[in-house]
Amino acid sequence: MIGRRTLFGAATASVALASVLNTEAAEAAVRAAARAAPAPGDVELRGADGRLERLGTLDLESQQDFTLGFRLMHSKKIRESSFKSFDRVLARNGMDPTTPISRQELIKLVENEPTINIAARTWLANQQVTWKTLQDYFHANADVYLSEMEAADRSGPGTLELNPKMLIPDYARHEIHIQPGGYVGDPFAGHIYHYGTNSFYISVIGHNEQDQVHKRTAERLPIPEDGKVRRILDMGCGSGQMTVALKERFPDAEVWGIDVGGPMVRYAHMRARDLGIGANFAQRLAEDTKFPDGYFDLVTSYIMHHELPADVTRKVIAEAQRVTRPGGVYYPVDFNSGGTKSLPRMMYGRWWDHRWNNEVWSFEYHAMDFTSEIGQRGFTIVKNAQAALPGFGVRHAIRA
Amino acid sequence: MSNPDTKRETFAAEAIPSDVKTSVFLGNPAVDNLVSCMIAMGTELWATKRRLKVIEAVMAKTGVTPEMIEKYAPTDQERADWERDRDRFIELTLGSLANAGTRGIGSDFPG
Repeated sequence: MIGRRTLFGAATASVALASVLNTEAAEAAVRAAARAAPAPGDVELRGADGRLERLGTLDLESQQDFTLGFRLMHSKKIRESSFKSFDRVLARNGMDPTTPISRQELIKLVENEPTINIAARTWLANQQVTWKTLQDYFHANADVYLSEMEAADRSGPGTLELNPKMLIPDYARHEIHIQPGGYVGDPFAGHIYHYGTNSFYISVIGHNEQDQVHKRTAERLPIPEDGKVRRILDMGCGSGQMTVALKERFPDAEVWGIDVGGPMVRYAHMRARDLGIGANFAQRLAEDTKFPDGYFDLVTSYIMHHELPADVTRKVIAEAQRVTRPGGVYYPVDFNSGGTKSLPRMMYGRWWDHRWNNEVWSFEYHAMDFTSEIGQRGFTIVKNAQAALPGFGVRHAIRA
Repeated sequence: MSNPDTKRETFAAEAIPSDVKTSVFLGNPAVDNLVSCMIAMGTELWATKRRLKVIEAVMAKTGVTPEMIEKYAPTDQERADWERDRDRFIELTLGSLANAGTRGIGSDFPG
């Protein structure tokens, strides 16, 4: 493992080299050096593993390691057992597993099935422990981590805009994924979300501790036909991993990440700053970005829309249309949508995630044909485009 | 708002809490709670085991190898002390499995 501070000595030499050789490679070395240098006020009690700062105590790191391990086991064994139980229930009731049924019928069928419900209870308990251990730690050490954020608020690279008087819409106040405080209600929402979702990635998509998923996604995002990418907007940026990945792909572009959560953009800015990446973050709404008309060449979002009510999603698309320049690209990354009539077992899983993992708006999202909604609001949908995130929806749209 | 005890600006707002803590999946809230306790217990147990691994790794670097720990033969006194502690641990954690539950919540005192 090579920590960022270990790299610092070599990075200093690279800066010197860059000042002599004004080459592209040398400039890249300067950027690498900026990432390697510890930022003023940066708290790294236990160092860093690459670009991921290690959690503040060994116990907390181990607790997260357990919940990750349990989640992996759950996704392989317990869920499989639950699936088999589901099929047995359908067979016992003489039902065809390939014929859609209503969710009310589904719930009635499985509500007394022990295997299905132990899978539900253990998954939720594990999710609760994941969040609680993180929240307890950051609250117990609030002064240290608030001071770290305060130091970062006022420094760059990159900028931070906080709007404590902004009216937070009710739809954004829910504790999505049962994360305590949700995206807006905990001072450490960004910290908690970032570390808590690492186990989600490993069990569902793949390792993301070094932002691998965000970087691959950013690399695959299409650009305008004229090749000009001067300004980029990442809507609902959360902890800023996608915004950072975009700035890394387009180092000369002006890159913005906006989010409804003040603690989220605060963490996103601090982390980008610690990595030496000059992205801009602002606490703003995706449906009301405050940017001028046609300002951006590329507008994106990363799994944001399934956390929005359908009417807000439509407003966000309209806002994206307003701020994207003619010929610019709009590519919101999110799940496939347009299906609430899937097979009974999948339908139950989708409903359960909505109801008990507190994905409050995901059912509305899945009921909507998201791609078609984009096509109806001033964008041309590119056919046969590649998925920026394989397995997720393909929405390569060009502003008319 | 979920705030630590601080007067500093946190930029957090009021959240709408989920009702997950009132959910019942196993027919009896007590059973649900027991399962949640087991997950939390597992988390703590693994944190302890992982810390032991770190201690062993650090000790190995100072000359105490895992092999020395593995091959350590306790003295007679240590063996007796540890067995007593093992039995206490088992009684505490699993002893209630032997309880014969025959009396409902509304039952009178035994005559």
